[in-house]
Amino acid sequence: MVKFTAEELRRIMDYKHNIRNMSVIAHVDHGKSTLTDSLVAAAGIIAQEVAGDVRMTDTRADEAERGITIKSTGISLYYEMTDEALKSFKGERNGNEYLINLIDSPGHVDFSSEVTAALRITDGALVVVDCIEGVCVQTETVLRQALGERIRPVLTVNKMDRCFLELQVDGEEAYQTFQRVIENANVIMATYEDPLLGDVMVYPEKGTVAFSAGLHGWAFTLTNFAKMYASKFGVDEAKMMERLWGENFFDPKTKKWTTKSTGTATCKRGFVQFCYEPIKQIINTCMNDQKDQLWPMLTKLGVTMKSEEKELMGKALMKRVMQNWLPAATALLEMMIFHLPSPHTAQRYRVENLYEGPLDDQYANAIRNCDPDGPLMLYVSKMIPASDKGRFFAFGRVFAGRVSTGLKVRIMGPNYVPGEKKDLYVKSVQRTVIWMGKKQETVEDVPCGNTVAMVGLDQFITKNATLTNEKEVDAHPIRAMKFSVSPVVRVAVQCKVASDLPKLVEGLKRLAKSDPMVVCTIEESGEHIIAGAGELHLEICLKDLQDDFMGGAEIVVSDPVVSFRETVLEKSSRTVMSKSPNKHNRLYMEARPMEDGLAEAIDEGRVGPRDDPKVRGKILSEEFGWDKDLAKKIWCFGPETTGPNMVVDMCKGVQYLNEIKDSVVAGFQWASKEGALAEENMRGICFEVCDVVLHADAIHRGGGQVIPTARRVIYASQLTAKPRLLEPVYLVEIQAPEQALGGIYSVLNQRRGHVFEEMQRPGTPLYNIKAYLPVVESFGFSGALRASTSGQAFPQCVFDHWDMMGSDPLEVGSQASTLVTQIRKRKGLKEQMTPLSEFEDKL
Amino acid sequence: MEFDSNYEVSRVATFITTHSFKRVALQFPDELLKDSTGVVRALRKELQSCGEGGNDIGLYVMADTTYGSCCVDEVGASHINADCVIHYGHTCLSPTSNLPAFFVFGKAPINASNCAKHLCDYAMSSKKPVMVLFGLEYGHALHDIKEASTTEATSLSGDTSISKLHFADVMSQSMNPTKTSDVNEDCDDASRKTYSIGGLRWSLQQGLSMENYSLFWIGPDNSAFANVVLTFNGCEIVRFDAMENQLLTDTSQQRRILKRRYYLVEKAKDAGIVGILVGTLGVAGYLSMINQIKEMTTKAGKKAYTLVMGKPNPSKLANFPECDVFIYISCSQTALLDSKEFLAPVITPFEAMLAFTRGSEWTGKYVMQFQDLVTSTPVGLENSGEDEARFSFLQGGYMEDHDLQDINKEEEDGPLALAKRTQMALQEHAKDHKTMVKKGSAKSGVEFFATRAFQGLDINSNSNAPEQFIVGRSGKASGYNHETSEH
Repeated sequence: MVKFTAEELRRIMDYKHNIRNMSVIAHVDHGKSTLTDSLVAAAGIIAQEVAGDVRMTDTRADEAERGITIKSTGISLYYEMTDEALKSFKGERNGNEYLINLIDSPGHVDFSSEVTAALRITDGALVVVDCIEGVCVQTETVLRQALGERIRPVLTVNKMDRCFLELQVDGEEAYQTFQRVIENANVIMATYEDPLLGDVMVYPEKGTVAFSAGLHGWAFTLTNFAKMYASKFGVDEAKMMERLWGENFFDPKTKKWTTKSTGTATCKRGFVQFCYEPIKQIINTCMNDQKDQLWPMLTKLGVTMKSEEKELMGKALMKRVMQNWLPAATALLEMMIFHLPSPHTAQRYRVENLYEGPLDDQYANAIRNCDPDGPLMLYVSKMIPASDKGRFFAFGRVFAGRVSTGLKVRIMGPNYVPGEKKDLYVKSVQRTVIWMGKKQETVEDVPCGNTVAMVGLDQFITKNATLTNEKEVDAHPIRAMKFSVSPVVRVAVQCKVASDLPKLVEGLKRLAKSDPMVVCTIEESGEHIIAGAGELHLEICLKDLQDDFMGGAEIVVSDPVVSFRETVLEKSSRTVMSKSPNKHNRLYMEARPMEDGLAEAIDEGRVGPRDDPKVRGKILSEEFGWDKDLAKKIWCFGPETTGPNMVVDMCKGVQYLNEIKDSVVAGFQWASKEGALAEENMRGICFEVCDVVLHADAIHRGGGQVIPTARRVIYASQLTAKPRLLEPVYLVEIQAPEQALGGIYSVLNQRRGHVFEEMQRPGTPLYNIKAYLPVVESFGFSGALRASTSGQAFPQCVFDHWDMMGSDPLEVGSQASTLVTQIRKRKGLKEQMTPLSEFEDKL
Repeated sequence: MEFDSNYEVSRVATFITTHSFKRVALQFPDELLKDSTGVVRALRKELQSCGEGGNDIGLYVMADTTYGSCCVDEVGASHINADCVIHYGHTCLSPTSNLPAFFVFGKAPINASNCAKHLCDYAMSSKKPVMVLFGLEYGHALHDIKEASTTEATSLSGDTSISKLHFADVMSQSMNPTKTSDVNEDCDDASRKTYSIGGLRWSLQQGLSMENYSLFWIGPDNSAFANVVLTFNGCEIVRFDAMENQLLTDTSQQRRILKRRYYLVEKAKDAGIVGILVGTLGVAGYLSMINQIKEMTTKAGKKAYTLVMGKPNPSKLANFPECDVFIYISCSQTALLDSKEFLAPVITPFEAMLAFTRGSEWTGKYVMQFQDLVTSTPVGLENSGEDEARFSFLQGGYMEDHDLQDINKEEEDGPLALAKRTQMALQEHAKDHKTMVKKGSAKSGVEFFATRAFQGLDINSNSNAPEQFIVGRSGKASGYNHETSEH
């Protein structure tokens, strides 16, 4: 066991070349947390004996109970390399001591925002893949996210023990399986070509792939075996490693290496011959308690066992033997130290992704060089609830400079705009803490390249922020994180006792801080809304709210509510006109649906209000077939000035038109936020101003006259253009054995879902099913699926797109009109839609 | 005579003659204006029959009041140098500041026995004592209802339930701002809590608070009822509709209003520019209220503009698109404007205090009359005094008000303040004028204006030559001559 104190740790924090910040990412249930625990065990925080049984990183009771990780946890590990191990290390280093800041993240898609937050503050990622299940949806999602952030990945093929004990597959078959897993991962990584990051694909023969059994606490890379055999064969390690993977075969009879199987019984692939089979042999010997054969083998391998360990039997013996022979921590930590970048290396290329400001200012340079003497640049990626009820640690990464106890910092919130005072605070850090699973250690200061937790800033940071020194007024913030999921499922909460309202308000505030994704807002009707990524996410949030953040005060939770969008199917049947209240001004408008893909382009920010009109015009004309001149006449986007709807001026030679533009825009912002059908946001509608008649006297065509009129005419044109509702749709991915398929299909059919891809995983009896499922129908979906497949299918749902509902909401009795009525009722509006005649006027 | 009793001609005449008023303003709401001539004629006749001076008394009819017709229009009355105002129709009985006033509530028809029956049934089923409140136009029938319910109750179950019934009283029909004696009379018994709302007054039994009562409201679903629901939102409330002659127990719509108001308070917290709408020039204490609100908004780091506007409507308020929220200072019964149609929410002074006072929490109490708010931290508010950034529930995150920080820091800056100010002004100028400012982000009217696309006519036009003569439109605004042919 390594002695591990805060002082020791603090000392290594200064060696920026000897730090590795990395996150562990994977699909749910592929064994991240178990694997992490064996690393933690080796770093000396918990005793080695219990590794694999107690999950150190799951610090919450509900996490332990459900067996899944909900919150990401950061832990600092200390590891000392031997001189011998480091002799082939080419990079810069200060001594042999290494500090690994590790973040274990959740695998369930509902919590992938936690992964995003973890990735931001790390430079490398350990991708864990179950050797049987292979690369799954969430593996792919988080891997893509990591590469998008310029995080260098290494891979570990996990749950090796299943191969040996459960499935008993032979060497060649196992090799094929592993090869496929690695290939699948590489296919994803190959799509990210980045000259700065270099080749990100992983190769076992280069040591960037490990093989591990998290539960049993052992792992190896080909380096381990190459070292063992290199001297025996009289070749160098690198050469040996190449032989241990791929199309290299060895026949012990002839003692010859070939690149093709010679077909003889003794000719086997290098990997099988030298890695797989020896392990298999040891395991089998242990499991059969053939101790008389075991001890000589161990002596040959140079593994020593303590006398009390020799007493162990069966599985326990096997575990101990394997841990002693191929300790997981050594293999994995050495892989990380060798192949993942230090902050100094990583920040050199990550600065472009991170910094919003000019890349040649002093802040960018300080980040680029990971300069501990430069100005402070710190990104707070999440808030961690402290044991002190209601307070939070601000957790983040120092990218430049150093943060110390008592330092006055400038807090730039997500809405901060350089040069303005909005969302900007100057406060002092009360305490800097390094965070180690269950323990927190206070330190004097933390230099760049490290993760840190801070006390005393929680009343000014909601979820994330950029911190810098008080005097650095011209620093730009670090770019906001982009999440792969969005909060589409919402519930309304209220307190059972009206006088608990202040408690609820305070509780919601804390909840908003505790989770990177959850959104706590208030509806027009005055209801408090909690929005989350999925059902499970909401469930956890509500539990936290009631138990931890409201002190157990009772709350009433509504059924989940899904927000819809309003759109149009066709161009308005005619040009509609509305008159101003004084009847002196008239607006003529038409609505039409936007071209396919334009709304998405606006969502992504490819087309938006801040574009250079020339660039925007080019995109619109080339991709969406717009007229070049028309593209210049976009008045605005909405709602919130950036939404996926717009107003285009189609008038010719109208007097005073520029005068009313602001008023029309104001009316449009309003109307596009609350559509005519059910006051849901509009989406994908382009409003064309066809003609305008205005009073000659300026006082009679002011905002008071035009704003309400613009709103009415927009509603009228929406209603005449075959309005439709859009509903959110999940992409569901299910992995299940063949016999469960029937159940999956029937559940999906009942819930209006449709399968668009069904694929058998090569080499496994598992099927991969991809389907679309309306979010409305997704409540209780997991449960129903479990019930009808006797627990064999587990879905991952992630919001995918908006889907138009076929029926006409204006037709009484149709599905859409029932839905509209329901929404209106819930919002406390008149149940009947306002008829077109209320919005349209006649001459 | 129905007409005379309805308009209480003789009582009005007595009121005028006893105080020997010479110029009397008769204020009618729009819906009663048709009867005004009849009232004047009857009143004139009555005054003449009363005494010799009847002919000297000037009677003036006032209609189309600038502000809510429930308040006494003192400004209108002072145009004719009136000595007093006789107010007809629905009223909020807000105290006047200068003129004595006499209120004629009118007499709405009501089926007293039916009402009493419902009342007793409700009292039987309710566990709590029942407080009976009513619209002032039903005040005349109160005596009948009381009697009817006593007989009803005794016939039903002996005299047990009648003790659970409590009736509110109508405050005096006349009002004289110079006399203060009648205001203080409710202090005679300190142990009994006295409540008054919308011209009703009642006191509770010792040791009980309003939460211990159920409320029974007689009257239509109007603003007076809404006031009662909001003020006593902790009580169970039922309403007897005299027109429909039935009991309505579902008041969820009214309770929804409370939630909606809560939302508006949250929205107001995010506002940058506040419009103070002065909707009364008569209700006592309105000036000090305006000053107080102004002070409070500035303290909260927001910019306030004061607008005098009678009967605000969406198109009037939309003339001030820069305002993110309006605070409507008016009598309690016109204060609640349904804000759905308005571009920006309209809130009451009480709500403004909730929104703009740091660390205040809404405990569920609601105050309608702004007189109760003047120069005191409003009831139901506690200041936690913690130094925390403001959490906006509309944005779902911390959202500090820019100016507030400036105010706090101003003194520290000292000599550098001026330089910083200049720098800031320059930055503002440098901003792209074309970008549309999102609602709520402008700090002042000037800044809002600067970001508008249209900023008035361009005087420095290049060509000095006169424009060419063109033929304009002809016809009328609802459809010009050239347009009618198109459609």
